[in-house]
Amino acid sequence: MKRWLLIAGRLTIAGIFLYAGYEKVREPWLQFAVSVESFKAVPDSWIQPIARILPWSEVALGFALLTGILTRWFALIATLLLGLFLGVGIRAYALGLTVDCGCFGVGNSGAIDAKWFAEHAAMLSLGLAVTIGGFLMARSPRKVVLATGTEELPDPA
Amino acid sequence: MRFLLVLLPALMFTVEAQTPATSVKKVSDAKVAPGSNAAVASFKESGSPTAPVTMELYTDYECPACRSFSLEVMPDVIKDFVATGKVRLIHRDFRLPQHQFTKLATRYANAAGEIGKFDLVAHQIFMTQPDWSQNGNVDAAVAKVLAPADLEKIRALVKTDSHLDDTAARDEAVGTNQDHLTQTPTIVIVAKGKREVIAGGMPYSILKIYLDQKLAQ
Repeated sequence: MKRWLLIAGRLTIAGIFLYAGYEKVREPWLQFAVSVESFKAVPDSWIQPIARILPWSEVALGFALLTGILTRWFALIATLLLGLFLGVGIRAYALGLTVDCGCFGVGNSGAIDAKWFAEHAAMLSLGLAVTIGGFLMARSPRKVVLATGTEELPDPA
Repeated sequence: MRFLLVLLPALMFTVEAQTPATSVKKVSDAKVAPGSNAAVASFKESGSPTAPVTMELYTDYECPACRSFSLEVMPDVIKDFVATGKVRLIHRDFRLPQHQFTKLATRYANAAGEIGKFDLVAHQIFMTQPDWSQNGNVDAAVAKVLAPADLEKIRALVKTDSHLDDTAARDEAVGTNQDHLTQTPTIVIVAKGKREVIAGGMPYSILKIYLDQKLAQ
């Protein structure tokens, strides 16, 4: 049961990252740059690299989570990213900035409000659950490989 | 099984990426409709007609973000790209319904365009936006930068010209139907027959990188 919950959680996060990355990748990078800039969180010289690299990184992370390879490590990266997004959102809200988060591409992303916080807190919680679950599974006597359902002998380490 | 999990989405993604973006709302591979440019009033165009890149700028005169973009970013764009023949600039009106005096301000700007004073008056309208957006006295703001004779011509056009809003209406039709605008300012970069719609303002440093990249293609 726990194993299937973990698989479901992992696939959900994979879907979120694939969708978020794909929606941004298909737009001109300048569009996401506008969103990045609106957070006023990084110097101007960082905006272009972030706007060009982050969407593809999200796609790659989504695919990695989909495959189930090194799940706990990729889930950890996804969780750290979600934590970062929530952190910059809280900062922007605290500063009273008007931002369009650009999270799922233009037109699919709203301003930072209660709904935005609820969604991102839920995604972060899911990421944390999958990461912790993944590490616990890896430490358990009968390690389960999530994608295939096969079992392996305990890791001597 | 794992192989399939990787292969199927990758295949779908590749096919999607190679398909002409006819279904993509914001980036269209379609050639620019000839009518969209023909419909632009000549005073709203600047730069070389043969420039490799065209930048269309949708603004609302009462929108504060449009004011910032027009006053802080556009002077550098005009100096570095439009005046040098690299980019053709088209101003487009997109009057937002929540703005009380934007229609009046647009009429003044377009009336000024009819007598060859568009750039001067449009700049002044943005400069004085914090004042007239409170009381609707666009006339007083415009009067500060015009000779009395020009001001009288503009006042007469604003008062009597029933076609003064036609150019704005055409811009809005293009913005709504072709570019699917959701906010102002919005810029449309047209290069090699491809329209890319970018919603929202941005610093000049980022826009410059993007325009340089389009020119290098």
